Order: sequence, then structure tokens, then C-alpha cells
Amino acid sequence: MDILLIGGLLLFVMLLLLSGGVWIAMTLAICGWVGQAFFTTTSPGNNLFSAFWESNASWELAALPLFIWMGEILFRTKLSEEMFDGLRPWLNNVPGRLMHVTILGCGIFGSVSGSSAATCATISKVALPELLKRGYSEKIALGSLATAGTLGILIPPSITMVVYAVAADASIIRIFLAGFLPGFLLMALFSGYIIWWSLRHPDQVPAADPPTTFMEKIRLSGNLIPCGVLIIFICWVLIGGYATATECAAYGVFGSLGLALWSRSLTWTNFCDGLMGTTRTSCMIMFILAGASFLTKTMAFTGIPRELAEAVNAMHLSPLALIGVLTVVYLILGTALDGISMIVLTSAVVLPMIQKAGFDLIWFGIFIVLLVEIAEVTPPVGFNLFVLQNMTGKDSNTIAKAAIPFFGCLVVCIVLVTIFPQIVTFLPDLVMGKEK
Amino acid sequence: MRRLLDRLYLISGAIGAVFIALIGVLMIAQSVLREFGVRTGAVNDVVAWFCAAASFFAMAHAFKHGDFVRVTLLLDQLSAGKRRALEIVSLCIGSVSVGYLAFWANKFTYDSYVFNEVAQGLLPIPIWIPQASFALGSILLLIAVVDELVIVLRGGKPSYVTAVEERHAKGDFSSDL
Repeated sequence: MDILLIGGLLLFVMLLLLSGGVWIAMTLAICGWVGQAFFTTTSPGNNLFSAFWESNASWELAALPLFIWMGEILFRTKLSEEMFDGLRPWLNNVPGRLMHVTILGCGIFGSVSGSSAATCATISKVALPELLKRGYSEKIALGSLATAGTLGILIPPSITMVVYAVAADASIIRIFLAGFLPGFLLMALFSGYIIWWSLRHPDQVPAADPPTTFMEKIRLSGNLIPCGVLIIFICWVLIGGYATATECAAYGVFGSLGLALWSRSLTWTNFCDGLMGTTRTSCMIMFILAGASFLTKTMAFTGIPRELAEAVNAMHLSPLALIGVLTVVYLILGTALDGISMIVLTSAVVLPMIQKAGFDLIWFGIFIVLLVEIAEVTPPVGFNLFVLQNMTGKDSNTIAKAAIPFFGCLVVCIVLVTIFPQIVTFLPDLVMGKEK
Repeated sequence: MRRLLDRLYLISGAIGAVFIALIGVLMIAQSVLREFGVRTGAVNDVVAWFCAAASFFAMAHAFKHGDFVRVTLLLDQLSAGKRRALEIVSLCIGSVSVGYLAFWANKFTYDSYVFNEVAQGLLPIPIWIPQASFALGSILLLIAVVDELVIVLRGGKPSYVTAVEERHAKGDFSSDL
């Protein structure tokens, strides 16, 4: 049987099971089993065991639960409440004033949390009521919260990036470093849009809060200092190369526990809830990784990805055309799948193709993360839309419409990163040297 | 019976949680000990095993809690009756595949025990000890999936659906990435 035909058959089985609601990890493993049992001479049972065991008993993967835990701890502290008051006094004289709180808040929270839904929910909870009370435009506030919430997965440490690094067998630290500059770029684009908008609609920007002195500003922001120290510490450890990603994650957990203790929000219940939540989330991700690693074995036995990569190569697509096609594929996948499943599901097939076409795997990682961010704010299942819908009671289409300009910023960011891949590769190359 | 099973899932989840906490402690201990020049290479093996144990033990709990992701785009559009039929099909497929997984996890672990295989790496203990987490965890997951199948067949709503609905109603999105 033609190898690509087998690939097509497996794809059909996968789509059938997925749309019927079979759990993603199980679907991946079932497809892997079908491929091995019918089209290879290996013993699927033994391979199933080794795929599950080897993918989960991994020292590198241990960074994943720890980074999740760090976010879970901080999510349960008073950090989010302090975010609004801490950022407020500094933004009085910027055009757009407190609307920037959403962007900065999401950026800061995103750098301690690796989840986009948690970032969006946390910042919305504190910022939205305050902004509306002061008379800021609800449309801009909703749109910026929905979109800036996705900074959680772009600004390191990010769970999605750890998963990509494991799936692509790339260095976690390298891909973390690659995320910083695109993250700042995206924040600048978001803030830039808010500034532009408020200069055009000065009547819709409420008056400034009464001015505060410098000392008062420091006092108001005082509660954010420990969190800032934690972020700087993590960046310093990552950039300086002082610790492995897993150790860095362990220190992050340690630091956030300390932070929670200091702000007196660390109770036994909080601690247990956070730890149990971490266990479930990381178990879910590792189960998917295990299923995918079984499917990857099938792929290696049948040679589908190699064949496909050669077929794509033979089409002589320009690199940009390939990226264009993949963008469309990911956007379609993004309407039904969450980001992590999307990455894990496609990596076995897409990554060989990408490498063959001469793209950098680290660059492609950031590129996928940006596409996942887009998927989070596109109907019908953009998860951030769903989060905001639940928190505000507004219809998700209204929120999606409000997010359109910020969505545009994301597109601009993707285009910039594609034209100037140095935005991604500059920092990792600078710190860790060029990759061979 | 219901209470016994629920307690079983919760305890297995808690065991997973303890392993995660231990990973954190071990990683910090390792980096501190390294500063004092202690050789700690074996810690990496232990951390890898703990990582596997954390995930395998927690599977049943995470499944019941609705953390395992699936595509619900189509399911949400269906009428209650059709949705129930599709849930039963999914759970049957799930039971068979998890049964297969549990069989091989246990067979392989048992073989490691019989042939007395020793872990490669810096800590040569019998490999069936860490592998037992996979064997046990997969059986627990099988119990949880079959349990759900029975609940739905009896006309109940799957717990993994109710759990997610309750969580989102409370505005808790911490388990969603």
C-alpha cells in the first residue's frame, strides 16, 4: 500500500475519533496502534509500553509540573489584586491611561504563569470592574483582555513552550529565551494600538486620577516588588545559564511559595488545591505526550513523515508558501483543538517538513505559539473568548468583535517575526551561541 | 461502593501530587548539594521516575475530574439523546483501549520483575519498582473509565462533564491552558 495512502487512512481515523469526542490522548494512541498493527511487523503492545514509559519517565519533562505549580500558587495569591493598584499610578500620563493596565498586567502575570486562560481570567477579574467603574471603553477593555491574556503562553516560562520543546526535542531554555523579544514586541503593538486609539478618541478616555508623588507611587507599587524580583530572578537564571530548566522551575515554585507566605495568602487549603490542580493539569499533558509518542513511533516505522516531507519538498514550494499553507492548517485545527493538543498532534509530521525546508525549529516553535494565541481568540472555541464570556456574561461574538484590532496586532507580530526571524533567534543565539 | 471508588481516585491523585512536591524538593536539594561538590547524578533518574509516577497515579483522578481534553465542538451541538449515545461509544472505545494499555503495562512490568531487570543509569535498582507506578496507574484509570461507562449506561451524566461545568460556573479557569 502506498505510504501516503496509509497516512491518509490514519488521518481519517483520527478525525473520526476526535470529532466523536474520544479523548485526544487515546485517539493518538489508537491511531498509532492501527498503523502498527496493520502496516508494520512490530509488536504494538511492547511499543506501547516503551512509548508511554519513556515519554513520561523523563527528567526533562519534570520541568512541566513545576512550572504549572508555580503558576497555580501565584494564581491563588493576592498578586492579581495588587496588580491594578501597583500599575495604576504610573500610567496616568500615557495616552489611553489605565487601559494599559490590561496589557502590562497580562504581560507580568504571563511571565509567572504559563497559561493563557489563567492569565486572562486573573487580570480580567481585577481590572475589568475598575476600568468600567472609571468609565473606560468596555470594547477596548474586553478586546485587550481577551488578546493580551494570550501573552501567558508567549512570555516565558510557558507550559506550551515546554511541551513544544519536548515534542521537538529542542532545548527548553533556548525556546524560553526566544520568547522574550516577540513577547515585548507584541506588548508594544498592543499598547501602541491603545495609544493610537485614545489619541483619536480623546472624548472616550476618562480623566486622569489625581496625581501622586513619586514616593506614593513607590508605596502603591510596593506589593508588586516581590513578584518583580521573582520574575527578574527567573530571567537571570535562564539568561545566565546558571541552572537547568527543571531547577529553574523548582526555584520558581520555591519563590512563589515564599511570595504567597509573605502576602499571607498561603493557607493549607490553597496549597493543596494548587498542588492537586497542578497534578491534574500535568497528568493531562503527559498523557497526551505519551499517546503522541506512541503515534510518533508508528510514524517512524511506516516512514510517513519522511515520505510527506519529500513530497512537499518535491513540490518546490517557496519557504513562505509552505509557512502560509501551515498557517492555514493550524488556524483550521485551532477552531477545534486546544494549543497543546495541536502542537503534539502535528509535531511528528510537520517538524521533519519544516527542517527539510530549512527553517529553524526554535523559530517555528515561537511561530506556532503565536498561531495558538490567535486560535485562543477566534470563534467558535477560542478559549479566552469563553473565559471572558463566563466572567462578564457578554456574548462571545461581541467579545470576538472587540478583539479584532488586537487580533490585527497579533497578525502584524506574526508577519514581523516571519520577515525578521532574528527577533526570535537573536536572544538565544546571543546567550547560548549559534545552534549547529 | 460509590464513596469507596471516589476515595480511591482522590487518594491516587494525592499520591501523584506528593510525587510532584518531591520532584521540587529533590531538584532544589540537588542544586544545593552540587554547590558542595556532592555527586548527585542518580537524582536525575529518581526525578524521571517520580515524574512518571506523578502522571500515572493521577490519571484516574484527572480523568474523573474532566481534565483530559477532548473535542466537544460537535458534542455540544447534539441533542441530549444523541450526545448520550456518543458518550457511550467514546467510553466503550476508551474502556477497550485503556484495558489494552493496562494489560501491556502490567505484562511488561511483570516481565521486568520475573527477569529481574535492573535500571540502566546511575541507580541500579530493579526496574519493576518504578514501572509499578505505570502498572497500578493504568489499572486505576481502567476502573475510572469503566466506572463512568456504568454511570452513563445507568442514565447518569458523566462526572467529567459535571466537574468541568461546576468549575467554570465558579469562574475557575486555572486548569485550562
